[in-house]
Amino acid sequence: MTISLAIDTSTSRTTVALVQDGEILAALHHDDPIAHGEVLPRLVSELLQTNNSIDEVVIGMGPGPFTGLRVGIVFGQSFAYARNIPWRGTCSLDSMAAQIMESQFIVAIDARRKELFWAEYKDGVRITEPQVALTKVVESFTVPIYRETDIYPSAAHLLRSNADIREPIYIRRPDAYPAPAGVTFRAMNSMDLVTVSSLEKSIYAGEDPWSIEQFKEEIAAKDRYYLVAEKEGVVIGYCGVMMAGDVADILTITVDPRLRRHGIGREFLKRLIDWARTKKVEALMLEVRVGNDAALPLYTSNGFYPLNIRKDYYGPGLDARVMRKDLR
Amino acid sequence: MTEPLVLGIETSCDETAIGIVRGRTLLANVISSSVEEHARFGGVVPEIASRAHLEAIHSVLNRALADADVSLNDIDAFGVTAGPGLIGALLVGVSSASGLSLALNKPLYGVNHLSAHLAVDALNSDHQLSPAIGLLVSGGHSSILKVSDFASDVAVLGSTIDDAAGEAFDKIARILKLEFPGGPAIDRVAKEGDASAIDFPRGLTNDSDHLYDFSFSGLKTAVSRYLQKVPDAKVADVAASFQEAVVDVLLGKAIAAAKANGMEALIMAGGVAANSRLRQVAAERCQAAKIHLRTPPAALCTDNGAMVAALTSLAVSRGLPASSLGLEAQSSTGLEQVIWR
Ligand SMILES: [Zn+2]
Repeated sequence: MTISLAIDTSTSRTTVALVQDGEILAALHHDDPIAHGEVLPRLVSELLQTNNSIDEVVIGMGPGPFTGLRVGIVFGQSFAYARNIPWRGTCSLDSMAAQIMESQFIVAIDARRKELFWAEYKDGVRITEPQVALTKVVESFTVPIYRETDIYPSAAHLLRSNADIREPIYIRRPDAYPAPAGVTFRAMNSMDLVTVSSLEKSIYAGEDPWSIEQFKEEIAAKDRYYLVAEKEGVVIGYCGVMMAGDVADILTITVDPRLRRHGIGREFLKRLIDWARTKKVEALMLEVRVGNDAALPLYTSNGFYPLNIRKDYYGPGLDARVMRKDLR
Repeated sequence: MTEPLVLGIETSCDETAIGIVRGRTLLANVISSSVEEHARFGGVVPEIASRAHLEAIHSVLNRALADADVSLNDIDAFGVTAGPGLIGALLVGVSSASGLSLALNKPLYGVNHLSAHLAVDALNSDHQLSPAIGLLVSGGHSSILKVSDFASDVAVLGSTIDDAAGEAFDKIARILKLEFPGGPAIDRVAKEGDASAIDFPRGLTNDSDHLYDFSFSGLKTAVSRYLQKVPDAKVADVAASFQEAVVDVLLGKAIAAAKANGMEALIMAGGVAANSRLRQVAAERCQAAKIHLRTPPAALCTDNGAMVAALTSLAVSRGLPASSLGLEAQSSTGLEQVIWR
């Protein structure tokens, strides 16, 4: 005989339940997207009046908006710690899926910024990892979607899964990206050509790198915009964009491999988007190598969505994914 | 009544900290900092801080209990910083504290971070906790506070109208190409410099509308202008002169506040209170003004859990009621409440 306290705060609903060997003893919830911290202790306190001898805590680990999600996780963990009982984490999307009787479907949680956290299920089994995407991308799939507000994670259903997830399912990287310290950004000029092209050569060796002459023509051409990033007087990256009719096309975003993941690419992208906005184009396009998954979150988190695949774009067998960001 | 055993949790910024006190005696003070993860951004990134709190909090709790050599079941009351601070960061501490207090059916006190910085003075020695002026200076706050009663009556007399003192240190350190956080870096470099080399401005010192307020942005501009004009200036001299200007303003106003309010004591706390020059000048000027200077040891000046436990312990001893269930974390709050209702 095991009594479980189940908690989920991955959506705008704070939901808790007491479950004894599969049978729900009590379940409570409250809907408020910004009050998980205040609501959860009150709900749990009410549950404990039903039965105070808890054997384990089961926690919905997300995905979900981070601040609310963490409330449920840390509360549940601390409760278990204090009672010296085990805790177990399961996927919040799974607890939504467990309520749906259909052969194939998607469940999705609001991820804010016009995006959804989602996963696909088939015959009762999750067939994708939980992920994040623009709402309209998820809506373009041909599978029925059950979204937050149609359905919510259910604390009681968390227990259906045997999973034991120890970390929050964040999916997104920490979402604040301040400008990288000590790095300056400025327009590329002819003095940069030598360093830029040698960086190009070292990074894209064997992939048809641009020559000095090509860079020279590029920065001289009209409707182009090229930037470099400089740290302690050394050029550590560059990017460029061109107008092509009603859209702008990002030509390159290149950062010295030793200085990646420092927010430099993100800052480049932000500046290119700002430039494109001033040109009043309707969209910004870019190509990313299929398989270059490391770059994808940068683009999707900035509102780019995949359009189509261009075969052999970077050479035989090297396909490109075309991505688009609407600016109007 | 035996003295209460109190555990305090602090997660308002980038330190995950837990302290345990019995009455006014410090038993444990454990701090895990995510400062290094923020260094490359030159400032605290809220989401990084919140994630780090969740990762660290239970191991910090483990160590604090081990250091104090007590069991969680022995704790009489829990305290937690409920504001001001980064909301996502505060919520990790508040939710953890709620989980612990509900599980053990022990009272929980949500406390004001600013008051807690000063209440840590209770752990300093067994002196009387007489009314005092508090000078609270750190990366997040620069305030002059009037402490009539540590657990119930603390008022803000003035605060910064732009940058916090600690932020000014960070920004100047960046201009001088010193590391982050800037406070310790400037303190170190300034020791080699001449504090009277450059006469930097003292903001808001002749402004009767801002008697106890601070402004550091003009000082920051003055330093960058000076460096443009004198590009080969000696970094140590610039650092020392900048630091001197900050110290001069902070103490000038704090001592004036003490005199105007008839206070015989000045408590100096917050991360910047660890600055060695500030401590030295404070000692000199307080002695001259016959004001009793109280400064917590450096480890209790920066954000820590012991200060939360100390304030909670004072509240418990005074018989103040615990906060209500589901107390609300508040990111921007003054001192309307020292202990959350
Ligand atoms: Zn502080």
